[in-house]
Amino acid sequence: MTTTGAADSVPHGDVLIFLVEAVHSGEDSAIATARMAVRDTLGDAAFVDACATIASFSAVVKIADGAGIPLEDYKEEATRDMRAEFAINQFQ
Amino acid sequence: MDINVAGETLPMRDSLAREIEVAWQRMAAPGTWWTGAERLAIAAEARRAGDCTLCQSRKAALSPYTVDGDHDSTDDLPDVVVEAIHRLVTDAGRITEKWVLSLAPALDETAYVEIIGVIALLTGLDKLDQALGLALRALPEATASEPNRQRPKGAKRNLAWVSTLAPEDVGPEDPNPYPLHGDKNIHRGLSLVPQEVINFFDLDVELYLKDHEIRDFEHDFRAISHAQIELIAGRTSALNGCYY
Repeated sequence: MTTTGAADSVPHGDVLIFLVEAVHSGEDSAIATARMAVRDTLGDAAFVDACATIASFSAVVKIADGAGIPLEDYKEEATRDMRAEFAINQFQ
Repeated sequence: MDINVAGETLPMRDSLAREIEVAWQRMAAPGTWWTGAERLAIAAEARRAGDCTLCQSRKAALSPYTVDGDHDSTDDLPDVVVEAIHRLVTDAGRITEKWVLSLAPALDETAYVEIIGVIALLTGLDKLDQALGLALRALPEATASEPNRQRPKGAKRNLAWVSTLAPEDVGPEDPNPYPLHGDKNIHRGLSLVPQEVINFFDLDVELYLKDHEIRDFEHDFRAISHAQIELIAGRTSALNGCYY
């Protein structure tokens, strides 16, 4: 699944992806533009919750990567077919 | 409650606003292995890591393990601690078990896990402010007291690269990190220092969702939908090279 495809399948996914990528880039002008796009499209409360989600998943990766935790068995089982279809395991 | 961002008012859930303040207080308070002043020194070093020349060279290299040198730091912390902080901040996705194990004995795994906790907490707080358009907060004043340096007796190295505390091994003397937020592997990652699990996930469940809310697709708990939350989560994780 491409980023574009994923974004298209979720309401206002394009502006949310724009915000995520702008925040990750750290470029102030891009963040400012993306911020206004989300606020104008989804509203201020949605913008704050979108920012909070970005913060959460920017933080939790430090735990996963730093401690070296494995995927849970039930998640591995649930995603087995999908991982095979996309050949994700070849990246191990 | 409302927050002010560059002269404009934005609504923030009271529960999120509360946990942000709690998280800052916990950042400055004595941990289990580091004093409040040391935890703030770790946080300050974490904020500097992005400008480190060595880290930038390593980030650009095919493998970070082929580039030697000294980190740009203030010498407030031992070299091994600076190395741990900078790697966690700038290139966590390429951390290996061998690298984690190489930190010992200069940096015990208990102290390393608390560093992960401090950095995760700081990352959540700073990234939220950055996304909202707020200036990064000045670090607070440290709370003076000594860490209790209590390692859970039941912790074992059988799940991750660091020892973890399984739910069935939590002792009566340990803070129990699991009843409130769950016991998935991501919770267990910090469980060698149980208080760090509590510190981080008390904030994280307000940034993201509580464990029981994640798969409750009958209800929306935020001003954005489950699908929108997971789209943001997936793209953020991909950009950060997180495949957990």
